[in-house]
Amino acid sequence: MKYRDDVITSLDTCIKCSACTAQCPVSKVNPNFGGPKWLGPDAERLRLESGAILKLALDDCSNCKTCESTCPSGVKITDMILKARRKRSLDQNTPTLALKMRLRGYVLGRAEYLGRLGVIWPGLTNKVLGLKIMRYGLDKALGISKFGPLPPYSQALGIRADQAKDGQNRKLERKVMYFPGCYTNYNEPNTGRMVIKILEHVGYKVVVPDFHCCGLPLEANGQFAKAQVNATHNLELMENYLQVNVPIITSCTSCGLTLKEEYPKVSVPGAERIGQQTFDLFEFLWSLHEKNELPLNFIKQEISLGYHLPCHLRAQGIGIPSLRVLSLIPGINVHNLDVGCCGLSGSYGFKKEKYEISMQIGRGLFEATKIGVNHGDFQEMITECGVCKVQIEHGAGVPTKHPVWILAQAYGLA
Amino acid sequence: MWDVVVIGGGLAGLLAGIRAAQRQKKVLLVTEGVGTLFFFSGIIDYGDVEQLRLLPGHPYQLFDQETINRGRKYMEQVCPDYIDTERSEAVLSPLGLLRSGDLVPKGMKLPNLLSVGSVVLLVPNGLKDFFPEIVVPNLTNVFKNGQIYVENLVVEEFQRWFELGRPITSVDYADYWRTQKGHKVLKQAIGKIKEKFSSRLENGEKSVVVVMPSLVTEYWENARRGKWVADFPLSVMEISSFSPSPHGRHLAEYLRHIFQDLGGEIVFGARAVRSELEPTENGYQRCKQLVVQSKGKELILKAEKYILATGGLLGGGIEAINEKREIREAVFDLPVFIPEEWSSPHFFEDQPYAFAGIMTDHQLCPINPLTREVVLENVYVVGRLLAHWDPWIQRCGAGVSITSGFVAGESV
Ligand SMILES: Cc1cc2nc3c(=O)[nH]c(=O)nc-3n(C[C@H](O)[C@H](O)[C@H](O)COP(=O)(O)OP(=O)(O)OC[C@H]3O[C@@H](n4cnc5c(N)ncnc54)[C@H](O)[C@@H]3O)c2cc1C
Ligand code: SF4
Ligand code: SF4
Repeated sequence: MKYRDDVITSLDTCIKCSACTAQCPVSKVNPNFGGPKWLGPDAERLRLESGAILKLALDDCSNCKTCESTCPSGVKITDMILKARRKRSLDQNTPTLALKMRLRGYVLGRAEYLGRLGVIWPGLTNKVLGLKIMRYGLDKALGISKFGPLPPYSQALGIRADQAKDGQNRKLERKVMYFPGCYTNYNEPNTGRMVIKILEHVGYKVVVPDFHCCGLPLEANGQFAKAQVNATHNLELMENYLQVNVPIITSCTSCGLTLKEEYPKVSVPGAERIGQQTFDLFEFLWSLHEKNELPLNFIKQEISLGYHLPCHLRAQGIGIPSLRVLSLIPGINVHNLDVGCCGLSGSYGFKKEKYEISMQIGRGLFEATKIGVNHGDFQEMITECGVCKVQIEHGAGVPTKHPVWILAQAYGLA
Repeated sequence: MWDVVVIGGGLAGLLAGIRAAQRQKKVLLVTEGVGTLFFFSGIIDYGDVEQLRLLPGHPYQLFDQETINRGRKYMEQVCPDYIDTERSEAVLSPLGLLRSGDLVPKGMKLPNLLSVGSVVLLVPNGLKDFFPEIVVPNLTNVFKNGQIYVENLVVEEFQRWFELGRPITSVDYADYWRTQKGHKVLKQAIGKIKEKFSSRLENGEKSVVVVMPSLVTEYWENARRGKWVADFPLSVMEISSFSPSPHGRHLAEYLRHIFQDLGGEIVFGARAVRSELEPTENGYQRCKQLVVQSKGKELILKAEKYILATGGLLGGGIEAINEKREIREAVFDLPVFIPEEWSSPHFFEDQPYAFAGIMTDHQLCPINPLTREVVLENVYVVGRLLAHWDPWIQRCGAGVSITSGFVAGESV
């Protein structure tokens, strides 16, 4: 009842201005998609009033949350969309997606298993995924676009056990728990290693338990029950640490958003603290700087960089702490492009029917990147999100990395 | 510790932030949404400044005429394609009526109306909230010596949208015209019109102009996708749009980029929820820190100065508690000036609620409406949130936001 009341209140705050739809990156390029206003507040009313669910259109939303950060009235649009998706997955009468699509949802949703598979034999998997014939097969069999920029796999990051055994000890040390997430774990473990190195450099012990996927790709691919199981598993691993105020650090913006936004809704111990104690890596480093605890002995870097703000960082409502931290390093010059979504949004752009759309969505970003490079403003891009990175490299052909690498250079760690 | 934290990313907040950042201040702008710029026609109204300055309490009374002019020049300097001719310009409203504007985008400026022979209204297929049957008679009144023709433009790209009954807004079309393909399609269409009318032109008829909704003919320097100026075989006049407005969105994006290029940072999707105060040496109060709701946690922001640009009832700066008809300022709980008529039975007649807002001293620091004492020394109030004005009837919406934003950006 409480939820219904909340929804009704936020429905009524919608002033039907269509600003959200004007900014929705999917709606701009996909005529079949009615856009956030229609799918969110408009449809929600319909859903509430008649119990009807606008079924298939729900899948077109890439969950980038641009609509929410646009809305002048604070309507929780994506909450409505996700809840409707969840409801649909429980609804017996819903026409089920074709087997192929469900199977694909299974594969893309399981970034983790795909990852584990990938790292057992990274070389082989990369070769296999790189093979045209294999991509053709994935395309035909699973609807995973043969053009989509599937990221390569390498040696997994692995876990780092806690040396201290009981909760008391944990309290005394300066310690953080790192949640690397699937992409870092399986596709860019070196970035994960560098995150750990930096955290150690600034004086923290780092624990990395055997986390499962945060659950966001599962949710996005309609696997809600599994997402819940993962969240519960991860929160169990965090619980003792959360109790003694150990910060949880993320370097992937989608994992960060999920931990901050979705985990507090899970009913297990620790969930009530997870929102407050989760920090994006640079958010954490900036908080150290505010307490005068961040080492500032940087090596000067003569470098110009382009920056892309990932949708899921924007949605966290913390600004851009990475640029704040990088601005402490002498010589660095960053061009914040601020042109919106890259189009990939998690696994969205890997789906066959979405590939074209995702490339169209990203067009503004690709153009802006190329213009910046041609003007000589910068030669390289930085962005916190792994899939944004993959998409920028694919769409604009400009090398892109996580900002942690720039910080590492300035500390002399890379 | 920031020099300045701006709360609210509408016109007033962005301009204040830009001015402060340009003055080498470290500025953070926190905003929940994009503000009313998406509804904004692109036409900047100042209203009859001299007359408005005579009204008791009107925000223009807080400034002298010279400061108001400087703010206006500043806006022109920030957005060079707004031309300030120091008098009002005639432009077309979304309904094709003549309306005046004080600073208008170049592409909206009308030629000498009496010199126009033929006016071709070019209507993109399925354009939402555009009503040719109303616009045409209105244009007939505007172009007294002209003949009005209507041309429909079917754009293949949007045919599917049209068939699906999916509304195509002027923002969608504006984006399309700006692509290479879209520009070509439009150029061709206008070329055809020129051909059609060439014999008349040769016969010595007065000029032919195209009038068109959904078009922004110029994207300014620093636009991330490059400066862009439409180039057509005939002169084309833009008509302003209802919400969502491509001109308003363009301005919003542009101001955001300017602000960020000056070193300002924007926190999107975060709401300032409350503040903590502390006493000052001379017995007043100041804001010590601001509490902002981000996803999952509250952030504490500390700054020397705070600019409050949260808009009115529409922007979220003033919250109405419906049943009791009580209203409060949402962040600092500042004392709100409420017109007496507020609770009268004629409540909605003259829209007295438009006059509700925060009263300030000449520095824009909030004061108590009864005692006139400054409430918070390091807080500056700008834009729609100010008391004693009505942007609709007085037609000075952007004017007040620009003036107050500029002044706050100068003084912080
Ligand atoms: C429909 C419409 C059409 C208009 N057309 C014209 C026109 O043609 N010509 C003209 O001159 N003027 C026009 N105006 C008026 C002019 O645009 C406004 O005066 C001006 O935009 C007001 O700007 P503002 O920055 O004060 O407030 P707003 O634009 O309302 O911005 C307020 C901002 O504060 C944010 N916010 C609110 N509360 C919080 C909080 N607690 N924490 C964080 N952020 C918060 C909001 O998300 C928003 O971004 C129009 C206004 C409207 C509504
Ligand atoms: S989350 Fe993104 S794709 Fe989904 S409706 Fe909102 S803006 Fe559109
Ligand atoms: S932006 Fe917000 S208020 Fe406007 S239509 Fe969308 S949900 Fe409604």
